[in-house]
Amino acid sequence: MNFDNRKYVIIIFVALIGVVYILRLFQMQVVDDQWKVRAQEIAEKRRYITPPRAVMFDRNGKKVVSNKAYYNLMFVEKDIEDLDTVAFAKLVGMTTDEVRNRFIEIREREGYFTRKDGKKIPNYQPVRPYPFLKELTADEIAMIAPHLDKYPGFYEQVTSMRDYPYAGGANILGYLAETNREEIEKDKFYRSGDNIGKAGIEKYYEKELRGQKGVHYIVTSALNNAIESYAGGKYDTMAIQAPSLKLGMDIELQVYGELLMKNKMGCIVAIEPSSGEILSMVSAPSYDPNLFVGKSNIAKNYPILVSDPKKPLFPRPLQAEYPPGSIFKLTQALIGMQEGVIDENASFPCTQSMVGCHNHPQATSVSKGIQMSCNPYFYYVTRKIIHQGKSKNAFVDAEIGLGRWEEYLHSFGLGVKLDSDIAAIRPGLIPGPKFYDKWYGHHAWAFSTIRSISIGQGEVKLTPLQMANLSAIMANRGWYITPHVVKSIGDDGPLPQFNVVHKTMIDPKYFPPVVEGMRMAVNEGGGTARRAKIEGITVCGKTGTAQNPHGEDHSVFIAFAPMDNPKIAIAVFIENAGFGGTWAAPIASLMIEKYINGEVKDKEKEKRILDAVLDNIK
Amino acid sequence: MRQGDKLTSNIDWPILLVYFLILGMGLMTVYSTAYDAEHPNILDFSMLYGRQVMWIGVSLFLGLVVFLIDSEIYRKFSIPIYIGTLLLLVVVLFTPPINGARAWLGVGSFGIQPAEFAKIGTAILLANYINQMNIKQQNVKNVLACLAIVIIPMGLIILQPDAGTFVVFTSFFFVLYREGITFDPIVLSLINLIPGVKFKQTWIGTHFIPLLFVIVIISVVTLLLSKTTFDLAFLGLYELPSIFGIVAAYFVIGILFYIVGQTIVGNRNKRRLLFIVILSFSIASLLSASISTVFSHLKQHQKNRIELLLGLNEEDQRDGDDYNRNRAMTAVGSGGLTGKGYKKATLASVESNHVPESETDFIFCPFAEEWGFVGTSVLMGLYLFLLLRIVHIAERQRSVYNRVYAYSVGMILFYHFAINIGMNIGLAPVIGIPLPFFSYGGSSMMSFSAMFFILLKLDSQRRDTLF
Repeated sequence: MNFDNRKYVIIIFVALIGVVYILRLFQMQVVDDQWKVRAQEIAEKRRYITPPRAVMFDRNGKKVVSNKAYYNLMFVEKDIEDLDTVAFAKLVGMTTDEVRNRFIEIREREGYFTRKDGKKIPNYQPVRPYPFLKELTADEIAMIAPHLDKYPGFYEQVTSMRDYPYAGGANILGYLAETNREEIEKDKFYRSGDNIGKAGIEKYYEKELRGQKGVHYIVTSALNNAIESYAGGKYDTMAIQAPSLKLGMDIELQVYGELLMKNKMGCIVAIEPSSGEILSMVSAPSYDPNLFVGKSNIAKNYPILVSDPKKPLFPRPLQAEYPPGSIFKLTQALIGMQEGVIDENASFPCTQSMVGCHNHPQATSVSKGIQMSCNPYFYYVTRKIIHQGKSKNAFVDAEIGLGRWEEYLHSFGLGVKLDSDIAAIRPGLIPGPKFYDKWYGHHAWAFSTIRSISIGQGEVKLTPLQMANLSAIMANRGWYITPHVVKSIGDDGPLPQFNVVHKTMIDPKYFPPVVEGMRMAVNEGGGTARRAKIEGITVCGKTGTAQNPHGEDHSVFIAFAPMDNPKIAIAVFIENAGFGGTWAAPIASLMIEKYINGEVKDKEKEKRILDAVLDNIK
Repeated sequence: MRQGDKLTSNIDWPILLVYFLILGMGLMTVYSTAYDAEHPNILDFSMLYGRQVMWIGVSLFLGLVVFLIDSEIYRKFSIPIYIGTLLLLVVVLFTPPINGARAWLGVGSFGIQPAEFAKIGTAILLANYINQMNIKQQNVKNVLACLAIVIIPMGLIILQPDAGTFVVFTSFFFVLYREGITFDPIVLSLINLIPGVKFKQTWIGTHFIPLLFVIVIISVVTLLLSKTTFDLAFLGLYELPSIFGIVAAYFVIGILFYIVGQTIVGNRNKRRLLFIVILSFSIASLLSASISTVFSHLKQHQKNRIELLLGLNEEDQRDGDDYNRNRAMTAVGSGGLTGKGYKKATLASVESNHVPESETDFIFCPFAEEWGFVGTSVLMGLYLFLLLRIVHIAERQRSVYNRVYAYSVGMILFYHFAINIGMNIGLAPVIGIPLPFFSYGGSSMMSFSAMFFILLKLDSQRRDTLF
């Protein structure tokens, strides 16, 4: 028997395996893409790089908000090997218990989600990096970093945090804090540990400030360590810092305003009338924005500030709604003339039977009424506005008149929310017919019931921002641009709504007598705001004293200057400081002088304000 | 008269060239896979590649020694050599286990694996025994003796346990088949126990070994592919069940064989060839189809047991129990047509370590990842040349002794090749055995080389043999 032919069986068998393997290799390596996809899943990871946040400049190009490098000590639990807790605790300056608790804290902070079967699964993942210590300074990390090679799984990561070269404007600028779970779930941009704007411009312009994250594709090992760039970084994208924000704010004016408001409660809002840009917005008392940089600072300082009875965190210019007092007389005069119920030469006696007043000669024109701030004068004006005799029924007549009056005031941006670029703005209150219907019942009220609105008391409430905007309307003689903080996003100009001119319902021709009254109030004998007079600058202003049922009256003053071609419109509100002319007017004048002249010549006036302590009255 | 007094005469140069090519490609891959920028010198003996260079040196020295010794010595001392390797296999069982197996003899990293050398001992004795026995007078006794020579070391090896080498020893059954040693005497003695039955020969007994192999291979491949689906993206077909792919592969193979076969066989055999090809295609397709049908109707726990045996697991096990195979196949598959470039492997590199054992059992991964299909097809070509050339060498021997030995070497190398590459491409179960001349490792390098050089020596002296 010859078995030689059996060699063919073996040859065929070997060749068959060879052919099958080559076909299989061809299928796996050339035809089928699933293994390439799988390889990406396994070995290629994306690392996101967060760019530094956009910086902010003031209107004069001074850097107001910048970034400073900080370091996080990161860890990946899966990569940690035999951690010598005692030595590690010593290295990071903690006790061993604190180190252990820190790990537990990080795990707990990530929370849990409930699976379909009702089982609670932690969000924390041992393969993901988490910051063990956050926001270390260069000096602090320099003590730790050289020893990290002894602790696999730990590494340093550069991060950037806000830095405020001027310790001012905290209430405008806002602050950053770590994103919470809801924010991460709402917007895919954020990951655990990212910062997000929590207040002020940082919050409103979050999307403009955060920039574009870069993606770094890396090849990772089975232990999730980065080994090298994928494809030499061919597919990587750079982190792009957003263009800087240019603020309308004058940081030096802002800091000066905060200085003037030391030991006082209240606020200053200054606007450039022609553009609506907010030049300065002081909320007193305030705080140094650097106190809110970084997690540990926030954790330390927030409780102190939030429990301060003087409420430094309360953004008064936007949220405090005060009775405006006599500055409201300006709108009454304008509405009266526009409605034709008075003309500029209207004269009313200072009969103090209906409403109190101070001693002054009779106001024989609108200008003089403003100059001397005569209460009865505006009592009559407002009564004429409300009761125009359009109905024989006094209640119906009042309803029509007040409705019209409310409309006018809304056109001044009063009683409505200004569409500004700062979060959490309040609308103030202009009581209209519906408001009083609720209080007194339908057709159950007339002017006599609501007469205190005629001098800006009673139910009328304005925010200081609205008061400043009123001043800007006076400066512009009839129009305004919504007050806003950001002058330009990069080079693109402001948001579109800040190019829109809002016209009031008052014909510009009715403004000159009122503005003249404001000039006289500051510059003429018998004016209520003589303390606001500045040598060489024609200031137009109007004082107010807002009655405060809880204590001393609030001191109010609005002004703009110069009278022709105004550069600044301002509102100053000092809580519990009495008559508007005493404190609010001189502070406004110092701000105006500082802004227009760059310096204050009247050192005596400045000293009086700086020395004044007005915040110890409860 | 002795032919060729020079040592170098009658050496089969083509196969030696291929040996060196594979050796070089292997060393290059070990260097890339274990590369450490702080120790770039390939002769740095603290690194794997430095040691691999050393093993290659020792192996070539062994080869030289083999060439200086008259090949007659292996035949004469086949029994002592065989018993010596068996003794080593016994001794190794009393050593402390490393990674769960008592496979290593020696100190530290410079140990040897007796099982590797047992292959040579077995091959030599089997060659000697078959050489002496009369094939035409096979009986239960001498067939059992042949089986015993193979099965005794297998038994000792499975005690270590070393399943890989155990499986490799079944390659000797191919050798028995080629020599015409069949299981027929055993089958006959069993069948003829039935009263009234008096067979002289059974087809099953005669062809028992190849039949078994074909059935095992078709079953294993069918089962291994049972979970995969095929995407023929260029035809716009996705998620095809595996059986379609298998039948399509049979069809392609059948056509290839018919085309190749036509040029080999004479004109008169062409119709017969066509018949054989169609019959084989039909039987193989039927077998695969029935296996996959039966498998899909098995109960889940039965399926699980088979899957565990074959390293086949659910998709969700690809980061679990199926980790190794999944990473290996991903590394190979992601190589693409031209590969990621030398030292540019992203999965099968020492730093990334996604593919375990990427210098030893899974060394095909980094090579396939770096060089792509271009590289793998060249390497496949070299191995196929090596294996078929050994068959060619075996068939030109005048002595049965030489031929049995040559076939033993050929089949052992074939097994290592088929299982090692097969597990990297999902066509063989994951059995940890090295790729000959390619994987890092002293014992395998030395034993494969010694085996190979003995073959070359026997071949160069083939005309001297008198028996």
